[in-house]
Amino acid sequence: MRDVAIVSFATTGPLPAVDDTETQMLFPVISEAIERSGIPRADIGFTCSGSADYLAGTPFAFVGNLEAVGAWPPISESHVDMDGAWAMYEAWVRLQHGDVDVALAFSSGISSRSDLREVLCLQNDPYYLMPLWADHGSLAGLQARAVAEAGLVDEVVDTVAAPPASDGAAAVIMVAGDRAREVCERPAWIRGIEHRSDPHYIGVRDLADVPSAQVAAAAAGVGGGPIDLAELSAAHPHEEVLLRRAMGLADLVEVNAGADPLMVAGLAHIGAAATAIHEGRAGRTLGHAASGPCLQQNLVCVMEGTP
Amino acid sequence: MAEDTATEDPGAPVRFMPQLIGLDYTIKTNPVAAAFGAALADGRITGHRCPSCQRVYAPPKGFCPICVVPTGEADLVEVADRGLVTSWTVLTPIQYAGQKEREDYALASILLDGADGTIGQQRLVDVPLDEIRMGLRVEAVWAPPDERVADDRGYGLGSAVSGWRPTGEPDAPPSAYQEHTL
Ligand SMILES: [Zn+2]
Repeated sequence: MRDVAIVSFATTGPLPAVDDTETQMLFPVISEAIERSGIPRADIGFTCSGSADYLAGTPFAFVGNLEAVGAWPPISESHVDMDGAWAMYEAWVRLQHGDVDVALAFSSGISSRSDLREVLCLQNDPYYLMPLWADHGSLAGLQARAVAEAGLVDEVVDTVAAPPASDGAAAVIMVAGDRAREVCERPAWIRGIEHRSDPHYIGVRDLADVPSAQVAAAAAGVGGGPIDLAELSAAHPHEEVLLRRAMGLADLVEVNAGADPLMVAGLAHIGAAATAIHEGRAGRTLGHAASGPCLQQNLVCVMEGTP
Repeated sequence: MAEDTATEDPGAPVRFMPQLIGLDYTIKTNPVAAAFGAALADGRITGHRCPSCQRVYAPPKGFCPICVVPTGEADLVEVADRGLVTSWTVLTPIQYAGQKEREDYALASILLDGADGTIGQQRLVDVPLDEIRMGLRVEAVWAPPDERVADDRGYGLGSAVSGWRPTGEPDAPPSAYQEHTL
């Protein structure tokens, strides 16, 4: 494996409801991440983005978003209909090929223009759950109840009344090998990055457990040393409880949890975990991303400050 | 698919089922597009000139995607409501519910004087379809002021310009449009 590090990160943070287009919202964030890295834009060998056009209802918005990248002369790029953490994973794989040294991963989400309880129904299976319009808040409620009945929490929090989702964007620059050491005093070296998925159909899952998070965390090497800071994509308190148990982080004090904005939260958590290393506040951190209903898919990235 | 279901034994297991999905969205007009729309209502076509490469984008984007620099009100320029045809398509309308077109008509990409990119899907008027050509010089036929509705996402010209008619000037030379054809 090639040593790859995150050397810079930028994000809007959660925004209440932007007037800008997704591209306009991304524009300063991508530029800021590139400028912070100190690497010329032309040196970026691979670009990968994560977003979902269903959120803002703008077909092919992900193509238009490339206008915020600087895609002329033509660049090598790809897109995932996932949280930007998965775009970052693809960029990490691309850097493992060895022929390019610098990658940009970014993501964006505008959730304020639709009813997420309707839109996210479309990620359910089309035969059993989709026709019921079983929305993500209701499904999270089922999981909260399962977690309570398993005795893992004392009370069930109302998941359907969760606050409306926000908009936002995030970007990271990833660099391989010596180039990372040249541009960054304390690169956040990716020591392990894995993602796994639990079954698509909720009915066959034990909702009081997240095996995919457990397997991803183990494969990413979470248990190989103490974690100073864990950044978790958890939309509800019971999700944080489940993730802590699955990843062996039950007693960790430094945990930052939250899953907002959609499509951005995972990459933003990983970026925040990397920034803690850049700034010397932590030596070994964990960034996590989730996707799908009830923590169906989980990505875990372990980073260290020591080369 | 519907025929298959119709001929099936009603007691047989379900093989097909209709699933109608509708999603409602709020459309927001971004500030750059809103300013462009206000100018259109006023009978003006505006753009942003990139401070780096000097290219003029009409409609404006709020940035230059080639130089990757932001643009704003300081970069605002007015472009002409006349230009030339770079390419076009003749459409033959098929009649279906809601179709208002009855005759063949042409939509063109227009390169406006003072702009560096074309505006697509612009209706050509007052010209026989077999006389349309690259380099044909045209001018805007503005809709009445109260009918000038901009596109709510800032694409194209909305209903502000009802069509483009030939000016009668000599055609522009190929050098004027060779960088703007597909
Ligand atoms: Zn420019």
